[in-house]
Amino acid sequence: MNLAWKEIKKNKVRFLILGSIVFLVSFLTFIISGLANGLSQDNAALIKDLPQGQFYMNKDADQTYNLSKIDSSTQNEILSKEKDAVAFSLQMGFLNDKDNKQQSVAFVTSTESDLFENVKHNEVVLDSSMKDKGIKVGDTLTNNQFSGKFVVKGFVDQKKYSHAPVAYINEQDYKEIYRVDEMQMIFAPDGDSSKEFAGLESFSNKEFLNTIPSYNAEQMSLNMIVWFLIVISGMLFAIFFYMMNVQKIGLYGILKAIGVKTSKLFKMIWTQMAIITVISLILSVAFSQAFNLIAPKGMPFTLTIATTTQLSIVFLIIGFIGATISGIQIKKIQPLQAIQQGEA
Amino acid sequence: MTLFKIDEVRKTFKNGEIEEEILKGIDLSLNEGEITALVGASGSGKSTLLTIAAGLQPASDGHVIFEGKNMSIMNSEEVRKVRASEFGFVFQFAHLVPFLTVEEQLLLMLDVSESKLKKQEQKNEVNRILKLVGMDHRKVAYPSSLSGGEKQRIAIARAIIHKPKVLFADEPTASLDSQRSKEVMLLIRDLTKTLNITTLMVTHDEEMLAYTDRIIKMSDGVILQDAIYLD
Repeated sequence: MNLAWKEIKKNKVRFLILGSIVFLVSFLTFIISGLANGLSQDNAALIKDLPQGQFYMNKDADQTYNLSKIDSSTQNEILSKEKDAVAFSLQMGFLNDKDNKQQSVAFVTSTESDLFENVKHNEVVLDSSMKDKGIKVGDTLTNNQFSGKFVVKGFVDQKKYSHAPVAYINEQDYKEIYRVDEMQMIFAPDGDSSKEFAGLESFSNKEFLNTIPSYNAEQMSLNMIVWFLIVISGMLFAIFFYMMNVQKIGLYGILKAIGVKTSKLFKMIWTQMAIITVISLILSVAFSQAFNLIAPKGMPFTLTIATTTQLSIVFLIIGFIGATISGIQIKKIQPLQAIQQGEA
Repeated sequence: MTLFKIDEVRKTFKNGEIEEEILKGIDLSLNEGEITALVGASGSGKSTLLTIAAGLQPASDGHVIFEGKNMSIMNSEEVRKVRASEFGFVFQFAHLVPFLTVEEQLLLMLDVSESKLKKQEQKNEVNRILKLVGMDHRKVAYPSSLSGGEKQRIAIARAIIHKPKVLFADEPTASLDSQRSKEVMLLIRDLTKTLNITTLMVTHDEEMLAYTDRIIKMSDGVILQDAIYLD
């Protein structure tokens, strides 16, 4: 007999309240997680979209990519030794549009590679968010430090760095703008972390992301909120079921007295937890995915099905732990106590 | 024929440094189909004796023998199984499950006792027992809509639906008025006789003794008198 479902049916309001709380907490968690992912993409999509590998920076740069310089002999040595390795540079800068309005961009240049857009002299490939600023293919853009003009050759989706759209330019043009001769970094896909090169420091993708100013602080704050919300939902489960169990101590005692197994009572609260959590999660997933579709264009919001699934599983596990902790008192209930306690 | 035997049962409670002996070596045999009433003043040990016999708490010493098996040496799961399949319980209050209908209360008991009956047979049995206790018209009612007397009838139906061999009743009429108490006692008597159930009952109400076969008077943890009820 499904006691769990029968109790939910009879006490709809009580379970509706718990379900609403779980829905609101999980919905909020999904939204904040979406914002965290969105900001993360907005901050470092350029790096995050690269395959796993090793980044190399000059040791003297003190883990600050824009202070790093790799001399050409070292660059040539690594590019010849490491398959598909690419040397690249990136710096924040500005492009002036046809109305002479400055647009903030992250200039990126690289050696010949499939991992970065390769553009010719006087050309630029932009992140598609620049289309919203009214920039079209064929437009001519300028930069105060650049003697020539950039012709927009195309757009790429989701290539951002430090909350600015990426502008891929030619190596020669980049060197003119920033008055440099060397590339800042080398990326070796599938690179071996144990491989060392004189004067260079190596970083995994994750380690490199943490060298980006503000990335770590931004992600840590948002992820902390997400985890707080998850813990709060677990505590809500524990407290709610604990209060319900306290009210039902007499009933549980009588059920134990007539021979109901303790495991059946545990199954009952687990089933109730599962029913409430699954319904609440289905609703909050649906609402958060709908929000994903209607979120304002400028809002950095990315909520993937994989993230939603992971968080949903975490919610179920936390709910299960919360319900189990509250259920420990069921194990302690003595039938005799319940009989002596009187009618519940 | 003896179904249940209580042999030299003692129960001691520790209250801080002081040890208090509630039962002082009780010997008792219960015969099949017989209603036995335990009477005595508060603190005489009658409820403690009933709960030890019913496997709801262990004795400090002595043995409880049911159908030749020593329950005192069984583990808690074995005792639970005996309680679920061989015993029935009626308490001072009905203690019905608030979110189950009358029919579901009885189906739950069949489920707990691991009844071999098929689904339809279980429903038929529920109908039969509800008719026996005169509650078949309240099959789909929830406990909140039943009167005290009706609740107690359902509690009795729940206690006997799985055909227990022993019925334990702890002050089953204490929460009822005089008229309802008589009706409930008559019901217990009729059912235990019809179904040949051995009943051990604790009561304070002397009027209810008229429905029993045997009266055991207890005082201060010992049996003072063991007598056949004579009208």
